[in-house]
Amino acid sequence: MKYIPTALWAMLETLQMAFIGTVIGVVVGLPLSMLSARNLNSKYVYAPTRALLAIIRTFPSILWALLFVIMVGLGPYAGVLAIVMYTIGFVTKLQYESIETIDSDPMDAVSSIGVSKFQLIRYVVLPESASHLLGQILYMFDYNVRQTSILGIVGAGGIGFFIINYIKFFEYGKAAIFLVIVLITVLIIDWVSVKIRDKYIIKSQHGVEVKRKKSLFS
Amino acid sequence: MIRANKNWHIRIDINSMAKTPPFSLISTKKIIQMNDVWTSYDSQSYALEGVNLSIDRGTNYAIVGQSGSGKSTLLKLMNGMMTPSKGAIKIDYLTPNMNNKKFKKIMHTIGYIPQSLGLVKNVSVLDNILIGALPRLNKLQSILKQFPEHEIQEAKRILKLVGLSGKESRKAYMLSGGEKRRVAIARALMQKPTILLADEIVSELDHVTSREIMNLVLDAQKKMNLTAIMVHHDMKLALEFANRVAVIKEGQKILEIGVEGDTIVDFQTGDMSIEEIMEMYNTDSKE
Ligand SMILES: Nc1ncnc2c1ncn2[C@@H]1O[C@H](COP(=O)(O)OP(=O)(O)OP(=O)(O)O)[C@@H](O)[C@H]1O
Ligand SMILES: [Mg+2]
Repeated sequence: MKYIPTALWAMLETLQMAFIGTVIGVVVGLPLSMLSARNLNSKYVYAPTRALLAIIRTFPSILWALLFVIMVGLGPYAGVLAIVMYTIGFVTKLQYESIETIDSDPMDAVSSIGVSKFQLIRYVVLPESASHLLGQILYMFDYNVRQTSILGIVGAGGIGFFIINYIKFFEYGKAAIFLVIVLITVLIIDWVSVKIRDKYIIKSQHGVEVKRKKSLFS
Repeated sequence: MIRANKNWHIRIDINSMAKTPPFSLISTKKIIQMNDVWTSYDSQSYALEGVNLSIDRGTNYAIVGQSGSGKSTLLKLMNGMMTPSKGAIKIDYLTPNMNNKKFKKIMHTIGYIPQSLGLVKNVSVLDNILIGALPRLNKLQSILKQFPEHEIQEAKRILKLVGLSGKESRKAYMLSGGEKRRVAIARALMQKPTILLADEIVSELDHVTSREIMNLVLDAQKKMNLTAIMVHHDMKLALEFANRVAVIKEGQKILEIGVEGDTIVDFQTGDMSIEEIMEMYNTDSKE
C-alpha cells in the first residue's frame, strides 16, 4: 500500500500532461480548424491546411512520443508535445466538420453587412458552434488522459512509465495497483465530463433555461 | 423627360389630374439601377430574365410577386450576395459584388433582412442587434467584444423602438416569429443604413402585427432618409405603404406603378429610359 502515494503522484502528473497537451493543442488547433472549413475559405486556403493536418493525423501518439523523446529527451515534456501534436491532428477534424454544418443563413446575413472574416468567426461561427466545440474539447481531454497513461512506455513521462517497469520486473501486484488508479481516474473524468455536458451542452441545445411559472389552472 | 420610343409609358391619375408630378421628377438621384439583368442558380433556367429597375433615393419601393417569381433573388443581387450572369447593376454607382473592394466599403450602408432573418441563434437579442455596429469597431474592440458605450445606448434605443424592451438578454432562438423579425429589423437599423432591403418581413404575421412592423420601418425610413426596397406577397400591403411598386412574374418585371396616397401617378412597363441606361454605363465609380 505504500506505493499508493507514488501512484497518485504519477497519476497527477499524467493528468497535468494531458490537460496542458489538450489546452495547447486546442489553442493551436482552433485557428487551423477555421482555415480548414470549406464554408469560410477558398480552396487555396483549406486544401493545404487539411493536407498538413492529415499528415499530422497519420502518426499515433506513441510515435509522436518516441520522436519527441529523441528530440527533447526522456520525461513529461516529450509526452506533452506528443499530446499537443495528436490533439492538433484530431480535434481539428472534428471541429472543421462541425463548423461546416452550421446554418449558412446567419453567416450570409452577417457577411452582407460587410464585416471582416475575423468578425464573422468571432460573432457568428464561434457562438453558433460553441456547444459542439466544447463537447469535442471535453472528449479530447478524456481521450488524452488514457493516451498519456501509456506514453510512459517510451519514456515520455506519466504513470505508464511505472506500469511498464513493474511489468518488466514481474511485479504484477504493483502494476495492478497503478492500473486500478488509472481506471478509477478515467471513470471519474468520464463522470465529470458527462456532468459538464449536461450542464452546458444539452441545456443550451434544448433551451430549458427559463423556469415557467406554474399556471393556476393546470 | 425624354423616353425611348419602345417604352410604353403612360400616366393615370385617379383622383385629381396631375396633383403631383411623377416620382421620377421629384428627385433625380438614382441609388439603384439595373439594366437587362439576367441571373440563374444553375444552368437549367434563369431566375431573373432581363429585369430593368431604376430607384430614386428616398423611395419606398415594393416588389410584389408570386412565390418563386424571383423577388428574393432580386434583393440578393442588390447587396452583392449574387452576381448577374448578364446585364449591369449599380448601387450608389458601384457594381455590387462581395469581392469588389470599393463595394465592400459601402456594404455596411445596406441593411439586409433576409427572408430567413439570419439571426445568430445562441446569442442574446442585444448582441444580435450590436452585430449591425461591427463595421464601426476597430480590430482591438472586435477581438475583445468591446462595443463603445454610445453604440450600446443606440442598440438599446433601437431595441425599444422595435418594441423589444425587457427582452434584451433573451437568446434569439427563444423568441417568437414576430419578435425575431423585430430583432432582424433592429440589427439592420443599427447599421445606420442608407438602403434597406427587406424580404417578406411581414408575411405570415397577423394583420395588426404586420401593420405595426410596417409603420415602424416607415418611421425609421422617414427619420433616416432611407431608400427602402421591400418584398411583399400581398399587393394590398404594398400599395398601402410603398410609393413605387414593381410586379415580378416568372423572373420578369411585368409592370411598375407609382403611388401617392390613393393616386396612381405613374404606370409603366418594365423598361428604363435611354438617359438612365447611359448614365449607368458612364458612371463606374463616384469617387
Ligand atoms: N439557392 C437556390 N438554388 C437554386 N435555385 C434557387 C435558389 N434560390 C432560389 N432558387 C430558384 O430561383 C427562383 C426564384 O427564387 P426566389 O427565391 O427569388 O423566389 P421568391 O420570389 O423570393 O419566392 P418566395 O416568395 O417563395 O420567397 C425559383 O424558381 C427558385 O426555385
Ligand atoms: Mg423569397
